[in-house]
Amino acid sequence: MHGKYDGEGGESAFVFEGTWREFAPIAFTNLLLTIVTLGTYRFWATTRERQYLWSRSRFVDEHLEWAGTGKELFFGFMIVLVLFGLPYFIISFGAQALIARGYEEIGAALGVLAFVAIFYLMGVARFRALRYRLSRTRWRGIRGGSDDPGFVFGLSYMWKTIVGWLPLGLLIPWSMTSLWNERWNKMSFGPYRFEASAEAGGVFARFLLFYLAPFILFIGGLFMAAMGMLAGYGIGGEDGMALGGAFGIIGLILFFYLGLGLIAVAFYAKFYREVVGATRWKDLDFSFEASTLEWVKLLVGDALLVVFTLGIGLIFLSYRHWKFFITHLEASGEILLDELTQSTTRTARHGEGLLDAFDMGAI
Amino acid sequence: MARACSTPSTWARSEPMDDSFQVAASWYDGHSAVRHEGHARWDGGGQLLLDAPTSQLAVPLDDLRFGETRGEHVFYRRESETDFRLTLPADMPPGLARHLPEKSEYGAWIDRLGLGKAAVIFAAASAVAVALFMTAPEWLGPRVPESWERNLGQAMIGDFGGRLCSTPEGDAALAKLLDEVDPATTQVNAGVANIDMVNAVALPGGQVLLFDGLIQQAESPEELAGVLAHEVGHVRERHVMTALLRQFGMSVLLAGANSGVGDTVFGVASMGYSRDAEREADDYARARLAESDVSPLGAAGFFERMAEEYGDDGESNAMTGWLASHPAAGERARAYRNAAKEGADYPPVLSEREFVALQSMCEDDPDVEEFDFF
Repeated sequence: MHGKYDGEGGESAFVFEGTWREFAPIAFTNLLLTIVTLGTYRFWATTRERQYLWSRSRFVDEHLEWAGTGKELFFGFMIVLVLFGLPYFIISFGAQALIARGYEEIGAALGVLAFVAIFYLMGVARFRALRYRLSRTRWRGIRGGSDDPGFVFGLSYMWKTIVGWLPLGLLIPWSMTSLWNERWNKMSFGPYRFEASAEAGGVFARFLLFYLAPFILFIGGLFMAAMGMLAGYGIGGEDGMALGGAFGIIGLILFFYLGLGLIAVAFYAKFYREVVGATRWKDLDFSFEASTLEWVKLLVGDALLVVFTLGIGLIFLSYRHWKFFITHLEASGEILLDELTQSTTRTARHGEGLLDAFDMGAI
Repeated sequence: MARACSTPSTWARSEPMDDSFQVAASWYDGHSAVRHEGHARWDGGGQLLLDAPTSQLAVPLDDLRFGETRGEHVFYRRESETDFRLTLPADMPPGLARHLPEKSEYGAWIDRLGLGKAAVIFAAASAVAVALFMTAPEWLGPRVPESWERNLGQAMIGDFGGRLCSTPEGDAALAKLLDEVDPATTQVNAGVANIDMVNAVALPGGQVLLFDGLIQQAESPEELAGVLAHEVGHVRERHVMTALLRQFGMSVLLAGANSGVGDTVFGVASMGYSRDAEREADDYARARLAESDVSPLGAAGFFERMAEEYGDDGESNAMTGWLASHPAAGERARAYRNAAKEGADYPPVLSEREFVALQSMCEDDPDVEEFDFF
């Protein structure tokens, strides 16, 4: 380590400097304007929110800048509505009309076609959302992007997802890491490409928890139900036993969902450590160091915030998630600023309409 | 730890400055990541002169766009060079600030109006839009030309692909029944659906279906005439179009949740009509029955049985949507009974033979198909 950021325990390459007090006026006015415009303002709201979050995120010695506009998000949404919403409406209309006339097979085939199209477009959407976000993110006046439109990625997304599920879901870790690599290898920032070489082996052990879980949870749950019944019997005889049993069963269900949720969190924590850790950009190595416990804290915090503010806390979730992301993101290596020139990728004029329509996250 | 380095450069020079038009500035030109640090000065005309040891630039003031503010700094962009980024201190001499683009907070329109005023205007416009949208079915429905509705109905459901029961005698009996209650030159399309439910529906495009279950439980052809007249009433009073628009509006609102059009078609039937619409359809039915000299006592008997079976409020059985959304069966039965002329001797609407033909229609039709999409 040398230069400006010398020293043991020096600060991270990514630092978040925002405060929720600064974010609150943005979030509340966004909420107000979104309500009075029946949701139309949300494209501009998203933009204001990102502008704040990006500008309070520092990478090494300069803050990020969000250069997207509400207008382009709005147009992106309109384009999706016309290009995909309308044909989808017509196809499903046609399918229903055919079924009503007795051509069940053709009608069903049309329905399946619509489903496949959506499946494909979800893959394309994931790709394009990342591309859009990189192309609107600037650091020292330099932006990212990709010249790939993502149509091939849509096909990969389809077949890799299907293959992942086929052998009892055992290949899901492979399909997830491989899709991550495929997507990031097509992205660049400035003149350099990202390189991702995540391997499924690193997350496979965690993934196996999903298979082991039902057995452990079932036995544990039975035990709990029995304990509940016994406790109930001790308190109030037969009636108490029924009541205790009911509580036991509720406990079993809670236990099951919480347990499964916990496994999912554990898997995703490991997954992000693996894939971000396997992503490079020129001479920079990234890492994402959020442990399962930290993820759990984030999600429990989310839930408490939303519950105790009667839902208003929802508007702060994007802030919390971005802060979590930036705080745990780390990079090491060297950047030669003189060599860092502008990206030559084309920038799309419209926003992430497709992804917006499917309501998914980009990363 | 990541590290960013650039070629170091030294710079020292002094020149007289007019402090009221000049501030410290730094910028990125959008072509390389090198930061230029120097000062910005207004040239007295339409340009901002940027001067640093590493770069000199003249930026037309009308090319500058407000970007954002952060703490002590304001950021500007350029319209012609999208990646250009200029940082100036937030605390600027007024002489210079006057020539720079104004700050923007919420978006152009709202900034111009002010947040409070804009919120009120948007809220009012939204309220009007919502009111128009909510009431559109009521005033727009009856104004949609019947030919459009017919085409729409054709497009949506067509001829049901052989799922309607049909025998020559049964068809003739149904046609005779329809003649009594639908005097218009272009009659509705009435059919008997092969479904074992006590129900009848009016669908888009002037399509009226009596379910076989309804026909089987009927004790007289007058009952069927009453129910058929009621459904024809929905078509003639344009309730179907109104309900269709309402259903469509709902699916637009719930877009994504479930926007299958098929649900729309039969959603209309299952959703039912408002109670006012039901009364209108009943009034229409009683008027037609009276005109054609058909006894309303059959319909009255039907509703009395329904009231007994499902309770007087008609809401205990949600499965038969037809009954659930209709006015209380008992009340309707009385209305039909009161419509009967004192001591009148109504001729039977169908002969015994014709009634039997109608009742055995689905059984006798060899190639009728199952209705499997209800």
